[in-house]
Amino acid sequence: MTPGQLALRSLIVGFIITFAVITGFAYTTLLERKLLARLQGRIGPNRAGYIPVPTRSGKPRRFLGGIMQPAADAVKLFFKEDITPAKVDRWVYTLAPMLAVIPAILILAVIPWAGEITILGQTFSPYFAIAPGVNVGIVFVLAITSIGVYGVVLAGWASNSKYAVLGGIRASAQMISYELALGLTVLVPIMLADSMDLGEIVAAQKGVIDWFVFRQPLAAIIFWIGALAELQRAPFDLLEAEQELSAGYTVEYAGMRFGMFFMAEYMKMIALSAITATLFFGGYRGPFVDQVPALGFLYIGLKTFIGLCIMIWIRATLPRFRYDQLMAFGWKRMLPISVLNFVVVGIFIVLQEEGILQPLFENTLRFLGIG
Amino acid sequence: MVEQIVFILVSLFTLITAVVVVTNRNLFHAALALMASFLGVAGLYVLLDAGFLAAAQLLVYIGAISILIIFAIMLTRRLMHALESPFNSQWGLGAFTAVVAFAVMAGVIAQFWPVTPDSVTPLASRPEVSASILRGSVAELGRALVSSDAYVIPFEIASVLLLAALIGAIVVAWPKAEDE
Amino acid sequence: MSEKILEAPDTVQNPVEQATTELKQRFPESLSDETRPGYEGLIVSPDKLREVATTLRDELGFNYLSSVTGVDLIDDNKMEVVYHIYSIEKGGGPIVLKAQVDRDNPVVPSLVPVWPGADFQEREAWDLLGIRFDGHPDLRRILTWDGFHGHPLRKDWKEPFYEEDHKPFGSRWPGGGVRRAEELNPYGKNVQYPPGWVPTGDEYEVETDLYTGLTIKKDETIDLKTEQVTVNIGPQHPSTHGVFRMVVTLDGETIVALKPVMGYLHRNHEKIGERNTFIQNIPYTDRLDYICSMSNNLGYVLAVEKLLGSEVPERAEWLRILNVELTRICNHLWALGFLLNDLGALQTPMLYFYIERELILDFFEALSGSRMMCNYMRFGGVAYDLPDDVRGQPTLQFLDELVNERLPRALEQGNELMTGNEIVQARSIGVGYLSPEDAIAYSTAGPVLRASGIPYDVRRAEPYSYYEHLDFDVAVRYNGDIYDRYLIRLDEMYQSLRIIRQVLPYLKETEGAPIISGKPQYALRVPKGGEAYARVENPKGELGFYVTAKPKGSNPERYHVRAPSFINLTALEKMTVGHKVADLVAILGSIDIVLGEVDR
Repeated sequence: MTPGQLALRSLIVGFIITFAVITGFAYTTLLERKLLARLQGRIGPNRAGYIPVPTRSGKPRRFLGGIMQPAADAVKLFFKEDITPAKVDRWVYTLAPMLAVIPAILILAVIPWAGEITILGQTFSPYFAIAPGVNVGIVFVLAITSIGVYGVVLAGWASNSKYAVLGGIRASAQMISYELALGLTVLVPIMLADSMDLGEIVAAQKGVIDWFVFRQPLAAIIFWIGALAELQRAPFDLLEAEQELSAGYTVEYAGMRFGMFFMAEYMKMIALSAITATLFFGGYRGPFVDQVPALGFLYIGLKTFIGLCIMIWIRATLPRFRYDQLMAFGWKRMLPISVLNFVVVGIFIVLQEEGILQPLFENTLRFLGIG
Repeated sequence: MVEQIVFILVSLFTLITAVVVVTNRNLFHAALALMASFLGVAGLYVLLDAGFLAAAQLLVYIGAISILIIFAIMLTRRLMHALESPFNSQWGLGAFTAVVAFAVMAGVIAQFWPVTPDSVTPLASRPEVSASILRGSVAELGRALVSSDAYVIPFEIASVLLLAALIGAIVVAWPKAEDE
Repeated sequence: MSEKILEAPDTVQNPVEQATTELKQRFPESLSDETRPGYEGLIVSPDKLREVATTLRDELGFNYLSSVTGVDLIDDNKMEVVYHIYSIEKGGGPIVLKAQVDRDNPVVPSLVPVWPGADFQEREAWDLLGIRFDGHPDLRRILTWDGFHGHPLRKDWKEPFYEEDHKPFGSRWPGGGVRRAEELNPYGKNVQYPPGWVPTGDEYEVETDLYTGLTIKKDETIDLKTEQVTVNIGPQHPSTHGVFRMVVTLDGETIVALKPVMGYLHRNHEKIGERNTFIQNIPYTDRLDYICSMSNNLGYVLAVEKLLGSEVPERAEWLRILNVELTRICNHLWALGFLLNDLGALQTPMLYFYIERELILDFFEALSGSRMMCNYMRFGGVAYDLPDDVRGQPTLQFLDELVNERLPRALEQGNELMTGNEIVQARSIGVGYLSPEDAIAYSTAGPVLRASGIPYDVRRAEPYSYYEHLDFDVAVRYNGDIYDRYLIRLDEMYQSLRIIRQVLPYLKETEGAPIISGKPQYALRVPKGGEAYARVENPKGELGFYVTAKPKGSNPERYHVRAPSFINLTALEKMTVGHKVADLVAILGSIDIVLGEVDR
């Protein structure tokens, strides 16, 4: 296959996956509203559209009420007046929502959605992704998430509003702080899999027992907390803290420009959920995935869905940190723990590779009189 | 051919944004242009098949250093319309440094010009980098940094320097006794 | 022998008389007795007012300034400032001080140096009555806006659509026509502006006075130059519990100065009240603290009953207590839900509490016909007896289940889920501290006062209704932070449940008994003149009504509301300075204000 054909195929796959995730984003908002409502003893949106299920009494039962809610929301956002406040920095103000959405889409490039698979005569090897075989995949993910902060910071600055600037400053400080812990934790799966390629990291987690979450539960927890902080989800949703900053950096935005920030947040939720699944929960792997590779889509979809549900559950449950507490938590707890974890894992891996670990272990047992 | 066009576009992007950095009167816009320029450099790395370097460029220069600069501007300047002259009292020294740096680089490049002897235009037929080198490049980089017959001494010296800078920063920022 | 034993408790039980005698001995020239029939208290000459107040606070134990208000005595061409001062330690009634000054140039020394809690109340008196308080640190308008002309509570001030001095207006009664003054005077011709004010221009620097107090203080000792930012939080802000605004000066995220700005919902409740007849005011009190309409009713009704001297039948008293305590639970459920919401617990606890609050509202609806604006109490009783059934259940059975099962379970659940939560504790313990001394000095009341370790509850200190026959504890907590203000509301709900459990058997016992005194009649009795101050322990704090009546006439001469939300806000700056912006919202939530009552 020539590079040109490869590029064309990546383009097509990229289009399909992006389209799927944008649809997913729309329904994630519905999922969030519905699930949050159920957790709070409410019903949630149930007016826009339903699936009629015929019943014996003749009157069809309304199943999945509210199924068209995302479409209604989108229409509403598109038809809202797109206000540009008078004293904003027009260029940056327009650029900011784009800079928020673009990284959210770019992250999707390296996530493996299935194993080696043949669709319509095309064989995707070594795994199904927009850009398979990127040997620094995980660093790419970190790099792109670190760009995501620009959308927020620029929106805050360009709005020329104190609330927005406070939101922007909080965002940048928070993201920089938690990126450290996140980056150091990502090193653990890299070391365990001996590769930075996300596909190989998945391949290293053959069975359920091999999932890195069981080998490194601490790293998985830190990664999840860091991901929540990176996403600015509860309990780290300070920069849009409604109670303090109204809506933080988006306070001056209206219509679809506001919608784009919203979109970026939810697409990043999906992407980071999928990455967590990839790094710690075996990605697209699951029972019978080697025989039927198409099951990979199902498995990673399911794992991502569970991740999203947990995020929403956390949002319904936990109050918000205060800004200084958030910073203290990031620098004084998360960072030292992740450094320590990383160093300890590194030492053990080196000991094992050098063949010292096994004798050391046996000798220790003997010394203790157990072995 | 395609690669060459891409190279020219990316280089132009990098250079134009770099010019904007030094000429724009709005400090915040200049910082944004600097970030865009870094992005162009990352693009050049990608063209050179140095994926890890490109990712590191994104992560460090765009994700951290540019954001730090923007952060500093946001916290110290007035919110909007803070236009200021791009020239300060040291512009002569700056110009001198730039000219010297350019001369040195031009000299180095001139030694190897043209890059490949059998072609008239540089970079036209860049030799393919083998897949094994690409695959192991990060590991090679890591080994080079810590092995005693490569760069371990510069690496350690750099780390000591950074540590000193870190401690220095803490000492500078530490509240003085009389302030409390 | 028996005389001595009887005498000793008498003096102890009458701290007011004792203190009055003591004061008269000390300031023989500057104190005189109130001579008008039906009035009480001491008339102080204004120049000695501050000394009398200091003596009362420091030596006689009357350390709690409950209410400051003014009265326009237009017939004597005088302005009167009325102070109600209570003793936290001894309880009992108030010492009422009155300072009378010339109406054309009313200047009274400010009591802010003695009680900082007088701050907002004196500003209110300046705003509405035009009484100057000499020595007040920041005497600005508080409820009306800066472009307002005149002082609306003065008897000779007329509103733009002035029609008549008191209701019922001739245009609508007895014919019941709908001709309104607005139609006769469509452009509001008698709208007035202050001198120098151009309604269409913006040259009037409206808020310069507000910001002067918040100017940036440069700290020269630190070599790092930092800039402070002044941020307006509100009036359009999701967590100021209404249209309330706080002008905050921030150093980074730390609050260095704060000024509350209020009055966006101001409708001059008191002027309306003085236009109304006595009975017409009851539904208006519903709209003060619109969450606790039942207890607002009770406060007003008690004040007028004092004027009327009417008796209340037993069943009506039990019904009153039942409803007031249910209101307290209702309010605290709401307050806790919103406090946790302010801490960032996205509505979940609030909505969990709402399930039970809904049941209480259903009961109110069945009882009075309205869920929130109950308009239930009447002079000498209540409006309706218990309904036959609520939500398809016999009423008493419904109440029994509510009080013994549903509410305790809901409180237990909330307690379990939120009290131990680490983030809640990290955000609230030690934040928004108010010392017991400050709590008294700032005239805070209700849960805010009691969370600072002052066990002062009007239901105990000066019992009204049948509270002296009921067995309950005054909830008190000692740390004075947000967490304690959270816990004390839980405690109070348990106490309220305890009270209601004692009330329910009496309701069963007195079934069929009258609920209002006197015969039903169309012509209502009106007070024969005099003054009355009645206070009740509202869920938000001490709600007081100061009502004076002329010997003739069907409407009050002066009608003043001592609003707990309003006065508790005086301590807001004290609690917030030094904390973070995020805490500000939580502290405000822990005070629990309702803007209907703050702005009146």
